Amino acid sequence: MTDVAAIPVLDLTAASSGALLRRRILAHRGLLIGTGLLTFIVMVALFAPLIAPHDPYAQDLSRRMIPPVWYEKGNWAHLFGTDNLGRDYLSRVLYGSQISLLIGAAVMVISGLIGTALGLAAGFFGGRVDMIVTFIITVRLALPLILVALAVVATVGGSLWVVILVLGLLKWDRFAVVMRAATQQVRVLDYVAAAEAAGASTLRVIVGEVLPNVLPQLVVVATVEAASAILLEATLSFLGLGVQPPLPSWGLMIAEAKTYMFFSFWLIAIPGTVLAILVFAVNMVGDGIRDVSAPGGRG
Amino acid sequence: MSRFSTGVLTAVVAAMMAVAPALADKKGNAIRFAYDQVVENVDPFMNNVRIGVIIGQQVWDTLIYRDPKTAEYKGQLATAWKWIDDKTLELDLRKGVKFHNGAEFTADDVVYTLNFVVSPESKVVTRQNVAWIDRAEKIDAYKVRIICKEPFPAAIEYLAGPVVIHPHEYYAKVGPHGMNEKPVGSGPYRITEHSVGKYVRMERNPDYFKDSPKPQPKIEKVEIRFIPDRQTQVAEMMAGGADMIMNVALDQATQMKAVPTLQVVSGETMRIVFLHLDSREATTAPQLRDLKVRQAIMHAIDRESMVKQIVGQGARVLHTVCFPPQFGCSDEGAPRYAYDPAKAKQLLAEAGFKDGFDIDLYAYRERNQTEAMIGYLRAVGIRANLRFMQYAAMREANRAGKAAMLHQTWGSFSVNDVSASTPVYYKFGPDDISRDPEVRDFLQRGDSQVDPAVRKEAYRKALALIAERAYSLPLYSLTTYYVANKDLVFIAYPDEIPRFWEMSYK
Repeated sequence: MTDVAAIPVLDLTAASSGALLRRRILAHRGLLIGTGLLTFIVMVALFAPLIAPHDPYAQDLSRRMIPPVWYEKGNWAHLFGTDNLGRDYLSRVLYGSQISLLIGAAVMVISGLIGTALGLAAGFFGGRVDMIVTFIITVRLALPLILVALAVVATVGGSLWVVILVLGLLKWDRFAVVMRAATQQVRVLDYVAAAEAAGASTLRVIVGEVLPNVLPQLVVVATVEAASAILLEATLSFLGLGVQPPLPSWGLMIAEAKTYMFFSFWLIAIPGTVLAILVFAVNMVGDGIRDVSAPGGRG
Repeated sequence: MSRFSTGVLTAVVAAMMAVAPALADKKGNAIRFAYDQVVENVDPFMNNVRIGVIIGQQVWDTLIYRDPKTAEYKGQLATAWKWIDDKTLELDLRKGVKFHNGAEFTADDVVYTLNFVVSPESKVVTRQNVAWIDRAEKIDAYKVRIICKEPFPAAIEYLAGPVVIHPHEYYAKVGPHGMNEKPVGSGPYRITEHSVGKYVRMERNPDYFKDSPKPQPKIEKVEIRFIPDRQTQVAEMMAGGADMIMNVALDQATQMKAVPTLQVVSGETMRIVFLHLDSREATTAPQLRDLKVRQAIMHAIDRESMVKQIVGQGARVLHTVCFPPQFGCSDEGAPRYAYDPAKAKQLLAEAGFKDGFDIDLYAYRERNQTEAMIGYLRAVGIRANLRFMQYAAMREANRAGKAAMLHQTWGSFSVNDVSASTPVYYKFGPDDISRDPEVRDFLQRGDSQVDPAVRKEAYRKALALIAERAYSLPLYSLTTYYVANKDLVFIAYPDEIPRFWEMSYK
């Protein structure tokens, strides 16, 4: 009789947890807004060549500093106006999304791989491995991120790929710390012991049992890191040591518009606003995933 | 300007004035001048940046003075001079001149300064300025002879420009390094404090000799602050925290005209701008060794538009690497490279770079102009990556052979003779990255002959060869925009030297 009673109970929980999750997602306004915005920006980035009205690099010195359409002297040919070299600002903002997203994603993947590998190893094996990894993390945390990035970029010269590599190789610390702690918790659970008892290889246990169960934390860290990488790129570019002209990076656009801040406010306001929106969207998605996946995190 | 930005502007200005009330600039009879480049060493022999030349002219004196209004030579530390033969110049010196430390000026100062700077161990930054001197000899306490290595007719121009005179005892004791920390000259202003990389504070020299062709200074105190960030300079001007800035970009100058407390003054300068290319065997960009590639670069950039749209009024397009009014500067016989992107692409294709190539472009000032060039180069397929830095770093990269393409500018130390411009970059000096012996020989001839006609012809040939072989793309002369307190009375001279000793407040 116990069997008969157990099955419907199990079924019931399975069904309701799926539905519950869906309901939680749909009820989480932040997650929906974030996902919506992010999807929109990703679409813009993917289809920039199709929707941009002009070539973002085409300069025309006779059409410089045209204000956006909502100003008196604006016109519909240049919705967001033109910059100090007569390049269409809207097209540059659209193409700029590609750079920000590329940097966010690439840095997230590189630092995620490094940090997750270290964190998993430390948490799973413990002992000496943990000691070494903890040491490496401590060393990394002792490095001032922006200073090191600035020094490296100043030495080897700034370019899109240098920025991605530098940030990717520096920003894995949070992945490592969180993955290590999460793995330590999962490591001692029964199903891991069961898998080991069943004779599964260490790799199989880590990839098949541990990793899926620390995935929610991983996703949250990943979004936080992506957003922070996008901001860091803007910072580096603003300081003149990130992505180099004529690439339309939003940080670079802000830096160049700085000169015109007092008189042509839109030049700095437009890239500043879109940058803020993107980072906001990524962070909303991260928060949302944390809220719906980890019940403890729900406020 | 739209209503909105006028509103923003008014608000910003009002806010700034509220936060930082204009300090006692006028009442204190002081000028606060802000400049973006930093000077490594204020000793005029030990730097080659514009602000160094500006400071040098306030603090030190030269033997001869060139009146910027009439271009006439006048005696400054010297009272009279004459050529004894082709190579020997004899000068009578002025009596009763005192250095800022109280030392009396005599022939010893001239002899020591000149003999020191020509010695290799002095490590003078621009050798061109003194390399023509063989030695100086004392005849008596107030008479000296300067012996040139070869006949050098431009000598007077140099003695009226970069060749300043230091007090010999003090200079021998402290050297260029000590001169930077506690500078001592004989000029209308003396430096009271030099905080390297931050500011130079000067005050009026009360004992400045009455017969100097530089008039007695009226302004009591001058503070030169190094503010690398343009926007901070502009903010300082609008808030009344500075009284004068220069080299303001056309856009900002135009916009700042609307600010009631400021005046905007502009004028052409002697500063020439050119795109310098490393075409040597060992260049870091081997593409540049191909003449066709270099010609493609010449055809790729629309200099007319740049002058009209972003350089400003008074600037002119150049066809050779020198400033047209300089003695010996000519573009006769030099090819004209018209703006023709199609031809540029075709030349690139012929050279085997149908898909273009990547290259680093080094630059240190007028970044918007560099970016416009990057845009033009990109349009023909040359993907230039900007490397923007302080001048000292760029010069280092240039001299080490690391920089293959540089957005260079040169103010000739305000010397109105080609020997101060073209030979610096093409006569096998440290900045020469084309190293063409034929060009060198013509320049050498121009530098060392006495007959003006022979000199002109030699320079003309050198300049035409440089243009023909496309070693550099001559761009334009610069216009400089000064933004100043509207009550400040001053003149914008083409030699880019603000003369604080002439200035006053209304």
